[in-house]
Amino acid sequence: MKKIQYYISALLLVAVAAMSLSSCSEDKLGPTIFPDVDETLDPSSYTYKLDKFLTENYLKKYNLTFLYKMPDISTNMNYNLVPATYENSIDLAVLCKYLWFDVYDKIAGDDFLKTYGPRIILLIGSPAYNPTSGTEIVGLAEGGIKVSLFKVNAMRINDFNMMNEYYFKTMHHEFAHILHQTKTYPNEFNTISIGHYDSNNWQDRSEGQVASLGFVTTYASSEFREDFAETIANFIVKTDAQWDRILELASRGWASGDEDDVTSEFYCYYYYPDNDATRDLVYVSEYNVFTVVDEDGTVHKYWRNNTDKEGNRIVVYDVEDKDGIDGADAILQKVQIAREWFKTAWNLDLDALREEVQYRQSHYDITELRKLVYDIQ
Amino acid sequence: MKKFLNISLLMFVALSALTLGSCKNEVDEIFDEDAVARLDKAKAEYKEILTSNGGKWQMEYYANSDEPGYVYLMTFRNDGSVTISGKNGWIGYTEGESLWIPTYGTQTSLWEVITDNGPVLSFNSFNKYFHLFADPEDIPSLSDEDVDETGYGHEGDYEFDLMKYSNDTLYISGKKYGIDMIMTRVDASVDDHVYMDEVVAMADSFFNAKIPQVYINLPNDVRWIVKNGASSILKIFREGADEISTAETHNVIITHDGLSFMNPITLDGYTIKNFIRQADGSLLCRDDNTTTITADDLSNVFMIPTFTWKCDTTQMGGVFYQKVQSLKAELNDYGKRKLATIQIAYNNNLGKYIVDFGCIYQKNTFHPTFYFDVEAVSEDQIRFHYTGEGDAASGVYGQRCPSMVAFVEAMSGMTFKLTTSSLLAPVDMRLTDASTSANYIYVKL
Repeated sequence: MKKIQYYISALLLVAVAAMSLSSCSEDKLGPTIFPDVDETLDPSSYTYKLDKFLTENYLKKYNLTFLYKMPDISTNMNYNLVPATYENSIDLAVLCKYLWFDVYDKIAGDDFLKTYGPRIILLIGSPAYNPTSGTEIVGLAEGGIKVSLFKVNAMRINDFNMMNEYYFKTMHHEFAHILHQTKTYPNEFNTISIGHYDSNNWQDRSEGQVASLGFVTTYASSEFREDFAETIANFIVKTDAQWDRILELASRGWASGDEDDVTSEFYCYYYYPDNDATRDLVYVSEYNVFTVVDEDGTVHKYWRNNTDKEGNRIVVYDVEDKDGIDGADAILQKVQIAREWFKTAWNLDLDALREEVQYRQSHYDITELRKLVYDIQ
Repeated sequence: MKKFLNISLLMFVALSALTLGSCKNEVDEIFDEDAVARLDKAKAEYKEILTSNGGKWQMEYYANSDEPGYVYLMTFRNDGSVTISGKNGWIGYTEGESLWIPTYGTQTSLWEVITDNGPVLSFNSFNKYFHLFADPEDIPSLSDEDVDETGYGHEGDYEFDLMKYSNDTLYISGKKYGIDMIMTRVDASVDDHVYMDEVVAMADSFFNAKIPQVYINLPNDVRWIVKNGASSILKIFREGADEISTAETHNVIITHDGLSFMNPITLDGYTIKNFIRQADGSLLCRDDNTTTITADDLSNVFMIPTFTWKCDTTQMGGVFYQKVQSLKAELNDYGKRKLATIQIAYNNNLGKYIVDFGCIYQKNTFHPTFYFDVEAVSEDQIRFHYTGEGDAASGVYGQRCPSMVAFVEAMSGMTFKLTTSSLLAPVDMRLTDASTSANYIYVKL
């Protein structure tokens, strides 16, 4: 009897528990609280033409949202930033298409950027300054999804070097990040300049010094991944003359008055006051050196600013390359690794990409490109 | 057995209570609509508010707590564009005759009401006359102490939480830096440039650099001294208190209609914030309708020892007009001399007030000077007493031009009532004979 009553009580408890559990499981999802968004563009909108261009050329084609109206929640709130001007946004929208998306479409095929391209491009008017380090961010790639281009309001559309340095290079730099965030590059790349990166003081290094160590820019000397993206971006956008100049700087020796001070100026030439080799040498900037070539082809280098007591030109000497690194060779090794990685990982010809970008960079007509937006009816 | 049944019953009841509680997995609806619908509704409502009735608004903008506020006029359109007009020193300066004049600027950019934690008014494309306060570039230095503000700029907002709308006023709060501001509706027919010129003229009329201090006159008849008015960063301390140890600074904005402190301030228990300009040039507190801001009593202002009051000889009445006309004729007869100025000032060396007649003879100016005592009869009345003394030139000129002495004697003993076009910046006054109003002199600093 006791046992039966025990079972009855237990059954009762189980029944109640079952009821309660079953009632809780009847929690069905209701309809979404988010309303259907009407994505039809309003032709009376002030920004209709640009919005139409972005919809047709980025959203429909690549599922990419091109954000030119800056919501600050899309940015790092630790920085003080401002939106881009509407006019510069138009310029950058057409240039991104012409110099970046169209290039990859041509070289890699239409599906490449559809698959691997960013899903958001965000334009920001100002740089993101780091007041403590004195550096500024001009581009960001986040999680293979979003590329932020900064400093849009400072664009000088007719200044090729400025456009190249701050915008064209940034596009390819940030896309290189997206690519290696998707498929990692060979670790061999990281070993080439290991021991010579300086993430804290890269901004204080000089262009020549880092080139001699095997970096294409000072920023490349900050860390492996930036080195990888900078190597690719600079190889793609720098003209032949600019690229040769990097390799030339990389081939020289560099020294400073205080080699322990990373912030000190580095030089590739020096002279002796009054041509007196018993005196302490003085380093001199290459901009103060001029070259004379004899009839027999012998090259002489002199200090531009003075003569010795006898009125002879002050002879200038090359700083000996004592860092033990063949900077030019290191840079070319890095390019080769990137070239092979592009081929094997992406089936892309880096040289063809460079050739196409070089052509477009030097041939674009912004007035014609703007018509892609302004001629929209 | 009973014990077991009781335990079972208790467990049953407890479990039922628990399970019923756990089944209550939806809270009661507080709102009629879900959050997204309410946010969308608020967004649409604020868009309608901003664009209706011509869509023109005055924004009282503060970039930070260390700068004055700046007025912007904004015209919001349904197509997503907004025209923003301003006139302040950060937009630019042009050199005027006696001061730097702020430059007017207007530009069209984009706006949108977006949703975050609530509706947010975002000026989401760069407008060079507005976003300059949010731009992280270094601020051009106006002094020798060049501080590098790169990365910070003014640290102003360009996105604003829309807090409340009431009586054509939008209450907003800077989204990043949290400064509360207001926007007030402006008639759509207003011309932006004219409006901004009037705002700047209003600022110029409030705090004249020639008036060293003005007063906040509280309902309890206690006065607080206000200095640095021209900078719009007011230095305020209680009259009679030590300036150095007690003065506080408060930034204000001068609008089309008056003046507002960035935040309410409490003086002697009275909390004040918004002031409206009165016809007499004073500022009346809109919060208590009693507190005013004015300069000192006119008689005290007139008698400030460092002031030199220049009489406008074209604006004199009665006996003074007659004497000046006679004087001009007598000076002409006296070797074709001309009357250049009549000035009233205090002479520190003499310890007396003087009336100085500037007379041009050939290319030289001579200053026959007559000595006075001046007495404050009331807060707006003064009386002159000619001492019968003067400098050597006064004797010579007095003999050749009897109207000069007659002018001086007419002033002597006369009680003048003082009036001004602005009680806040009394840089001009009319001295009217208290017994015969036809007799008056108009003077300016």
